[in-house]
Amino acid sequence: MILDLSKLIRHRPYLLNTLLLLTAFIFSVALGAVFIPPETIFRILASQLSGLNITQDWPESFSAIILAVRLPHTVLVVMTGAALGSSGAAYQGLFRNPLADPYLIGVASGAGLGAVFSMALNWPTSLLGFYLVPVGAFVGAILTVVLVYNLARVDGLVPLTTLILAGVAIGAFASALTSFLMLRTELQLHRAISFLLGGSPIAGWNPVIAVLPYMLVGMGLLTVSGHMLNVLQFGEEEAKQMGLNVDRAKVFIIVVASLTTAVAVAFSGVIGFVGLIVPHVIRIIWGPDYRRLIPLSILGGGSVLLLADMLARILMAPSTLPVGIVTAMAGAPFFLWILRRAKREVFW
Amino acid sequence: MDSAAGQARGVLVAMLKIDSLSVAYGDRVVLEEVSFEVLPGEILALIGPNGAGKSTLIRAASGVVPTISGRVSVNGDDLTGMSHSRRAKILAVVPQARQMGGAYSVKQAVMMGRTPYLNWLGQEGEADKAAVHLALEQTGLDTFADRQIAKLSGGEQQRVLLARALAQETPVMLLDEPTNHLDLQHQTNLLSLVKKLAKEKQLAVLMALHDLNLVSFYADKVALIVNGKLKCLGTPAEVIRAEHISAAFRTPVDVVSHPVTGAPIIFPQGVSDR
Repeated sequence: MILDLSKLIRHRPYLLNTLLLLTAFIFSVALGAVFIPPETIFRILASQLSGLNITQDWPESFSAIILAVRLPHTVLVVMTGAALGSSGAAYQGLFRNPLADPYLIGVASGAGLGAVFSMALNWPTSLLGFYLVPVGAFVGAILTVVLVYNLARVDGLVPLTTLILAGVAIGAFASALTSFLMLRTELQLHRAISFLLGGSPIAGWNPVIAVLPYMLVGMGLLTVSGHMLNVLQFGEEEAKQMGLNVDRAKVFIIVVASLTTAVAVAFSGVIGFVGLIVPHVIRIIWGPDYRRLIPLSILGGGSVLLLADMLARILMAPSTLPVGIVTAMAGAPFFLWILRRAKREVFW
Repeated sequence: MDSAAGQARGVLVAMLKIDSLSVAYGDRVVLEEVSFEVLPGEILALIGPNGAGKSTLIRAASGVVPTISGRVSVNGDDLTGMSHSRRAKILAVVPQARQMGGAYSVKQAVMMGRTPYLNWLGQEGEADKAAVHLALEQTGLDTFADRQIAKLSGGEQQRVLLARALAQETPVMLLDEPTNHLDLQHQTNLLSLVKKLAKEKQLAVLMALHDLNLVSFYADKVALIVNGKLKCLGTPAEVIRAEHISAAFRTPVDVVSHPVTGAPIIFPQGVSDR
């Protein structure tokens, strides 16, 4: 039986991760100030579909809680986690470093700056404001990554140490600019700060609708870049000799990963560790093939961030912690535990 | 059987021609007007002191270092300026074994040689699987297919890189000091395998090698490169002679003939004096 379980884990990665995500999803919708049992959730959802005749046996408020609050919130969290997990995997592959993640190379801070800049314009008073925030975050992320990449380049190569130094420096600069913007403008400071700590300050379907197209495009293209990332693991020179157009592949992956990070940051703020931990765990269990690592990181990132989000809602109920605090507090020790366990194996 | 399968799969037979090739790193010219040809089924060994330009020649021919003048052509097609994916169907490179991508399985690593043939999703088809299977078989790695690269010995890792190049199904193969860090047994195993494949598949093989005695046993032709210039080109017996080698390596040497094969064998003079 135990043998079967480990076999199941190893050979059915998609099934397993999808089941995990679905379970976490249902729990996330069920949990809150009032617990709404899964069965009722399904009945409420089914009642929304025309043609089904379902008698209402639940309080009116339950429908509103599920449909207007918990469901959009859960969907947004899943998409954010998925974006962070998959872009983290892509950055790690691109820079061939297990430490590369959107935060370390400054992209997330740049996206945060772009987002706060757009918020300073007319957020969240108009619908246009919603759509501007991801665009601002994307512009901020791309400018940062281009700047960092060029600063780090020495004789046509991008050594990892200079990359990370440049990333940390530019990231700090972007964070300082963000703080300056928040102090000097009419921006509602409280909301902006809670945004930067990784708490989605806006409820409802609007943020979901605003990020959905970017997320689908970004994660779709990341999934397609799996083989390029595989070949890049052997070094740029060998990748060229194996027939990969390395320069084009690098630009493609940087742009797409930055887009995906930017949208995640735009509506959910700065959430660390998901992009670092999720790809690592997946790599340890299911190996290094990026054609599989990226889609699994999408599923796994969604589950992990949902779990953190549930903790954030439960730990200090009725008030809610910013989820970024939870991912950092749970993520750091977990990461260290993984590192110590994994010492003797080769996952990279 | 192998060569029949190779021909059935449409592998070309081709000649590699290096024509007045010059390469510079910045202002420093590291390769100057080098010309030679490698025929199908032939192994040409590049020899010369460290820094003479052997690796540079291989990197320039494989398009990862820009050239300043000259041509690298295969059957008349100029490779310089060709896209990486087109070139990778014509010319494959076996690099020195290094620790990279160690978590991949042997099969996964060899499949990466199919990069120029895969579709935009990176999915492998039947032809790709067949090519990988054949390459694993030819290099004797079929029983290792699912092992992690990092867990193999140096000689086995080098064979993985050879199999990856074979999976590219190119008529031309370049090897950059493939026997570095290998012991005698693995050196001779690898070179015998390369020689056998060159004959069977009629590959044109260009190989940089340090060990001159191995060169004289395995190479059909030898090019001696010193300070970026081609000093001497010919059969091992013509090139590996005391006056050429002593001058090129600035070390007095003696050359004797192998008692059985007649191949030149080289000794530093300090040794033969005793």
